[in-house]
Amino acid sequence: MARRKVEAGSAESKLVEYADEEPSAFASMLGGLIEANVVGRDEKKRDFESLVARVGIFVTDIDEGVTLDFKKGKLTVHNGLGPRRTMTIRADAETVMSLSNLKVGLLGLPVYYDGVGRGVARKLLTGKLKIDGLLPNVMTLNTVTRIFSVQ
Amino acid sequence: MAVKAFSNEWAKQFKDEVNSSSVYKTAAKGWKWTVGLVVEAEPDKNFPESKGIVMDLFDGDARDVTVGPASDAQKCDFVITAPYTRWKEVATKQLDATRGMLQGKLKLKGDLPTIVRYTKASQEMTECTTRVAVEWPDEK
Repeated sequence: MARRKVEAGSAESKLVEYADEEPSAFASMLGGLIEANVVGRDEKKRDFESLVARVGIFVTDIDEGVTLDFKKGKLTVHNGLGPRRTMTIRADAETVMSLSNLKVGLLGLPVYYDGVGRGVARKLLTGKLKIDGLLPNVMTLNTVTRIFSVQ
Repeated sequence: MAVKAFSNEWAKQFKDEVNSSSVYKTAAKGWKWTVGLVVEAEPDKNFPESKGIVMDLFDGDARDVTVGPASDAQKCDFVITAPYTRWKEVATKQLDATRGMLQGKLKLKGDLPTIVRYTKASQEMTECTTRVAVEWPDEK
């Protein structure tokens, strides 16, 4: 499968690659967001360098998904949901954006008691946010959340 | 009374809507960047020339909103570009701006973590556009 590097030029821009010749807008946005987060913040970079997981994110109201393949300091973004995913997050666009606005609190755990956190928790409880593979991968979810969060 | 789409009158009403929104004021606390909206021409929709909307937004206030050439909007810190029809869909609530960006229907240029941090502010700003009564050039 053809691969396209993002903005060759700096060493750090090679952190994220796209598996598809034409990454979807959603894939580009998520890849760009994670790259900007990791480059700008040492604590996120440490998480990024330790994470090995294949995380699917499916946005239910636009019917589009991506697979984020984290491999210890490298991320390959695939259009669509690929096989062998560690976990899959399914939610509408607004909720996906909320996930990236979760604050990270004590011990690196996502904060679920402020406005954004309560909204995410409520959606999880009401089934509007579904995470397949959550129970055996809670630590992975926390790491992904920290990398994904812009807070 | 309805104003012409993306005209100076529209800009003034849009700015007033933003400044009267307490939701926006709260959600945009700390925002200090300019935002440009590029409305690409669609001659077959009676929108023959691209326009640029420059928004000077600061800490929950819209200090100025002006309409001019697309090149002005392209110089802003954040630039969102779409054809006329897409912007009309946003302003008439047929297209959610967040979904539009994730689908690539609205193209965003600028620091992604910053814009994501202010998702609620940008959603409210979209709401403000829907509150301005507009005379659309392709409906004449």
